[in-house]
Amino acid sequence: MKTRYWKVIRDLTSDYSKNLMLVLAIALGVFGIGSILGGYAVVNREMTSNYMSTTPASLTIEVEDGITTGLLDSVRKFPGIKVAERRATVGGRMKVDDRWYPILLFVMDDFNQLTLNKFHHLSGAADPAEGTMLIERTSPSVMDAYEGDKIIIRTPNGEPQSISIIGTVHDPGLPPAWQEQAGYAYISMATLKELGETQDFDLLRIQVSENENSREHLTKQAEVLSDWLTKNGHTVHEIQIPPIGMHPHQSQMNAVLSIFTVFSFMILILGSILVATSMATLMVKQVRQIGVMKTIGGTSFQVAKLYLFMMLVLCVVALAISIPLSRLVAAIFYSQIATLLNLEITDNSIPLWVPLIQISSGIVIPFIAAAVPVIRGSRISVRKALDNYGVENKNRTGSWFSRLISKFDFLSDTYRLSLRNAFRQRARLILTLGLLAAGGAMFMTALNVSEAWDKNLKRIYVQRLYDQDVKLNDRINSDSLVNRISTMDGVKVAEGWDYSATSEVKESDYEITRTYPDKGHGSFVMQALPLPTQLLNPTITEGRWLNTPGSNEVVLNQMARNERTKLGDMIALTIEGKPSLWKIIGFTEDVGSSATAYVSLETFSKINNTQGKVKMLRVAYHDRSRDFASVKSKELDGLLEQQKISVSSITPVWLLHNAVAAHMKVLVNSLLAMAILMALVGTLGLMSTVSMNVLERTREIGVMRAIGATPVKIRNLIVWEGLTVGVISIVIAFVISLLLSWYMGEFIGHISFRTPLTLTISALAIAIWIVIVLVGSYVATIFPARRSNVVTTREALAYE
Amino acid sequence: MDNLKNQTLIQLNRVSKTFTVASGQFKALNDVSLAIPKGKLIAITGKSGSGKSTLLNIISGIDKPTEGTVSINGIHVEKLSESELASWRGKNIGVVFQFFQLLPTLTILENVMLPMDFCDSYPKKERKERALALLERVNIKEQADKFPSTLSGGQQQRAAIARALANDPPVIIADEPTGNLDSHTATAIFELFSSLAQSGKTVIIVTHEKDFASYFEDMIAISDGRIVNELVNA
Repeated sequence: MKTRYWKVIRDLTSDYSKNLMLVLAIALGVFGIGSILGGYAVVNREMTSNYMSTTPASLTIEVEDGITTGLLDSVRKFPGIKVAERRATVGGRMKVDDRWYPILLFVMDDFNQLTLNKFHHLSGAADPAEGTMLIERTSPSVMDAYEGDKIIIRTPNGEPQSISIIGTVHDPGLPPAWQEQAGYAYISMATLKELGETQDFDLLRIQVSENENSREHLTKQAEVLSDWLTKNGHTVHEIQIPPIGMHPHQSQMNAVLSIFTVFSFMILILGSILVATSMATLMVKQVRQIGVMKTIGGTSFQVAKLYLFMMLVLCVVALAISIPLSRLVAAIFYSQIATLLNLEITDNSIPLWVPLIQISSGIVIPFIAAAVPVIRGSRISVRKALDNYGVENKNRTGSWFSRLISKFDFLSDTYRLSLRNAFRQRARLILTLGLLAAGGAMFMTALNVSEAWDKNLKRIYVQRLYDQDVKLNDRINSDSLVNRISTMDGVKVAEGWDYSATSEVKESDYEITRTYPDKGHGSFVMQALPLPTQLLNPTITEGRWLNTPGSNEVVLNQMARNERTKLGDMIALTIEGKPSLWKIIGFTEDVGSSATAYVSLETFSKINNTQGKVKMLRVAYHDRSRDFASVKSKELDGLLEQQKISVSSITPVWLLHNAVAAHMKVLVNSLLAMAILMALVGTLGLMSTVSMNVLERTREIGVMRAIGATPVKIRNLIVWEGLTVGVISIVIAFVISLLLSWYMGEFIGHISFRTPLTLTISALAIAIWIVIVLVGSYVATIFPARRSNVVTTREALAYE
Repeated sequence: MDNLKNQTLIQLNRVSKTFTVASGQFKALNDVSLAIPKGKLIAITGKSGSGKSTLLNIISGIDKPTEGTVSINGIHVEKLSESELASWRGKNIGVVFQFFQLLPTLTILENVMLPMDFCDSYPKKERKERALALLERVNIKEQADKFPSTLSGGQQQRAAIARALANDPPVIIADEPTGNLDSHTATAIFELFSSLAQSGKTVIIVTHEKDFASYFEDMIAISDGRIVNELVNA
């Protein structure tokens, strides 16, 4: 190795703490990128492979009158059909801790011949006999029952029955049960009959033989088949074509991961700014040596190469530390996301492009950042380098800032000097402020967004003035029942509502939805309410709320609105599969609702020919607590039972709140993790700057001590300087955080609710950041302050 | 040797150097003309701020003149770029500093090898051998593998002289090389410079030390940026 490179190696090993900080600055960014991209790559791949491993049906046709084996055989032979299966999905209830919770029962034709929307057998029996069932692996979290246990199930038309859980499966096409606050079970048709249901298979799951990635073709094929079914005397209720090849949460997850990637690149850029300031420190420290090297024959290029080589070594060390660590964290990250999405990671290898991006960004970005101080330092003239005595003695006394500070008589001399020192190297000050402010802004943003998310979730209670939502299996005469419920102890208001799955009628004769097999994701529902209602407090974003019973007015929520729909438009929506025409009079912003169209109950019943009847009850209690709702839920259930009313589900509003909260838990937690990384980089930046400022002024400090400054005075001078920078950064960080929080709130709000989160300023975030910065500034300055006091006055005066 | 000594190696023609300082313009050198022959040991003397270090910097190419020309061994130094100057200086000028300026993280041997490395002046295999020979010449070969901080001031200055000789430059310049040494060590260093001049090197030393006047073949006295005497033996 060339002699000059020995210098680099020894310089690196002689100043561990400083170089460790540089390594840390680069490593943090590379680590962030690797963790996010590594996690992203695995999740993205596994999400697709998991979902595709179920062989999702291209489309599902819901046939009202049952699918016989003969009909199924005919469909299988139908032109353009590759595979066809029959299924049924029944929404029932399960009893957990003496309370009823929703459960989705997937009724299979033949457990041994699954070809579409498959699930993977995990344990126990694979083919449940009559009276038994398999459960999805995430179900025990809400069922509180496991393989070998029994659970009481009640279907719409049956009595509660105890069913044995004899096996567990994994269904990657379903979100986790805890997220939806519902159980998933797989039963045979015989078990469904035993549960008291008379319905037959009503879902035709179909895979087409060609153009399976063309939504247009799928729609056409579904319509052709539906025409044939209709012609043969069957009633097609609905056609479901979910987004092709996409997991129900794919688009949200991509959006979330992309914003994380941006965050991690920002960390790397901030880390690189830190590298630049630290390299500038190094060049300051080395300026005499640069002068000597140039005196004995080193050219600017040779000198620059030396320091760039130093950078390279630092980068390589940073990469060597951060890449393996980021892989570990990526594993935690993708495992968390996999849990969130109910994925099974079958291949946990992080693709090669991830470390390649880490290597290239971990070298290129710090190199670009360090290039300026290195080149400037290497090009310094020999005389300037040899004459260097630290900070440049430019005459700044005449600057407006210095004059202004001089007028602050109320400040102590020490603090006034600290203020001047803080503003002495303005370019460096700007970099440090930028670094700290960016760190602080992102930290506060993360907490602001987290709080805005919570606040938005709480709007669920503000918009929904009811505490219990009761869906019935059949329409009932409402008046007497509603009156009865209204007189129950603790009940404030009870109303009878109605609802129907709906879809916008377009050119097709059929109702075509984007609903996934879990019947939740992608669904569109019409809610019919008595006007005026006391149980809804809608947030109107445009137009007005419903006020005329019997009118054909409709209000759409943001999930149901598309770019084309506007106030005054007429829209054709189906009610129980039959088209009806409505005038759009308003738009609302709902939290935690799927696509919903609100209409007058009177009009709905008239169109549906169900006057005086309802299929949904909504009840508000005087006490809105979870415990009270639970007690009342049981009472209500008992009353309905007594009245022999078949209940589809009783959903307390708190359960909905919890289900929505669970969807974004990982996102919010990850944002906070990012914030902590940012805080770390920011504090490192401050430490670097202050130590550079102190280093440059070693001789000056010597002079001050020679003329009587005590070590305490010197320490205070340096600590106040750091704190001043810290305090200024807090103000800047706060302003930036407002803009960032607004943007992030818009982004996260839109991917979750299609509505922005309310801009929220977290007092806790500000308080924590103030503490971090002040403690960080103190810690960052106390070391260089102590160091400056350890150096003797003689050494300081002789410092070169 | 005498013929050699009569050849002019360094020629300064009406050189002036002006610096911009807070109070305005400061003329450190004012219309200096000078001719220094090969193989001489010459002292530059003068009070603090007289311009002697500036003169040395101009000769070594560390600084460029504001006016006038500097020719060393036939090369017009003021016309060279910073990069060309660095290479040229590495091969033609050996510089010795008052505070030695050895690179602290390199051993003495590596410090001496460094100029050869920068200038690529000797084959790689020979560099170590040559550096050891130079250290032997300045009597600190046994310190070769030590770091500068472990050596005495005199030993460090000897190492610095060995480093200055690394590329076998015809000119050695030293800015108060004994300013930081005791008189005993200073004598040894001056003897070393004297021997270098006898071996054909042109050695120019800025010094205040009148006690060592006997070592110098000639003396340039400088005051307020002007040479106030004539080189007697030029």
